[in-house]
Amino acid sequence: MSVRREFWSIYREALPILLVALGGGLFAGLVLESIIESVQRFPGILVMVPVFLATRGNVYGALGGRIASGLHQGLIPPEFERNDRLVNAVVASFINGIGISIVIGVITWIALLALGREAAALYELVGIMLIAGVLTSVVMIVGLLALVFTGYKRGYDPDNLIGPIVTTLGDIFGMLFMLFAILLVGVIVP
Amino acid sequence: MITPQDSLGSWDTRRIVRNMFPLLVVLSAIVLVAGITLEEAEEMLDRYGLLAVMVPTMVDMGGNLGAILSSRLSTRFHLGTTDLDPRDRALWIDIAAVIALAATIFTALAIGAYAIGVVLGSDLTLSTLLVISLVSGMSVAVIAVVFSFAATYASYRLGVDPDDTTIPIVTNVVDVCGMLIFIGVSAAVLGF
Repeated sequence: MSVRREFWSIYREALPILLVALGGGLFAGLVLESIIESVQRFPGILVMVPVFLATRGNVYGALGGRIASGLHQGLIPPEFERNDRLVNAVVASFINGIGISIVIGVITWIALLALGREAAALYELVGIMLIAGVLTSVVMIVGLLALVFTGYKRGYDPDNLIGPIVTTLGDIFGMLFMLFAILLVGVIVP
Repeated sequence: MITPQDSLGSWDTRRIVRNMFPLLVVLSAIVLVAGITLEEAEEMLDRYGLLAVMVPTMVDMGGNLGAILSSRLSTRFHLGTTDLDPRDRALWIDIAAVIALAATIFTALAIGAYAIGVVLGSDLTLSTLLVISLVSGMSVAVIAVVFSFAATYASYRLGVDPDDTTIPIVTNVVDVCGMLIFIGVSAAVLGF
């Protein structure tokens, strides 16, 4: 393939999904703006925002990369079926995703104390991360697999899809479920 | 004969968790820097709410671009069709495409944020938003390209599966850089 055609084929294939990612990012930004208002109630919330969003990318980006390589190598079929490799990878990303959410609450709390900043109670920060982490994990895994399988069957290269899918879903649902968790913990905790 | 392809090998749950979890903890500690930067900028974000609207895209788009690049690289490693030779033309085509995508997306981010600002009633002009978005965005894109190569190459040389390390490292370093650059550029442009 000529250089120019190769260049445009990468550009054209990635651009639509990056524009979707942009839309998702802007929506997540609007949610973030309303989270900023709850900073007074739970000091330290803002510290957790980038870490929580980054973790969605870490865990499910790795899952997506693994699925893409598996599809390319013919190790897994592009279907929701009981395939040992697929099940193992999904279970592992569940454990990683929820486990790290708890860790984020803890290290944020420790960092704020160490810096001498005001911080919400440890169980409040961990509770918010746990609720947001569990809800986001379920949506991310189902959504990621559905989109990657569908894209693959229609002839899209999964390599170009995964990063943007993960960040878009992660941004939107990460922020929405974090806002939900903040409101929920705010109601439960007197 | 049993080859690694036949056994579950790197597709074993415990092995994936054991390989990844320590890395996740380290990465979270790194991104904590971005979180603290965000918290410190709270006053500026309160004053200019439109900046908060731009934060997730600003932080993640660099990671997206890096992930597209490193994902393409690591799949080619798996298939054995590249050895990271700087004379490999496919590498330069990938880089050019990523930079062109960055220019397009960060221009669109400024326009999108401006449109939201018109609805919400913000006093930031389109040219201010374009400067903030493109200066921080293109810097992040260059950083994303450099780190994608470094991380993919390092994991290839160290014999670690790039899928488990490359994408996380690239997205996190780029996340932190994206936040620091975006907050820094915004503060400089707005004189905060």
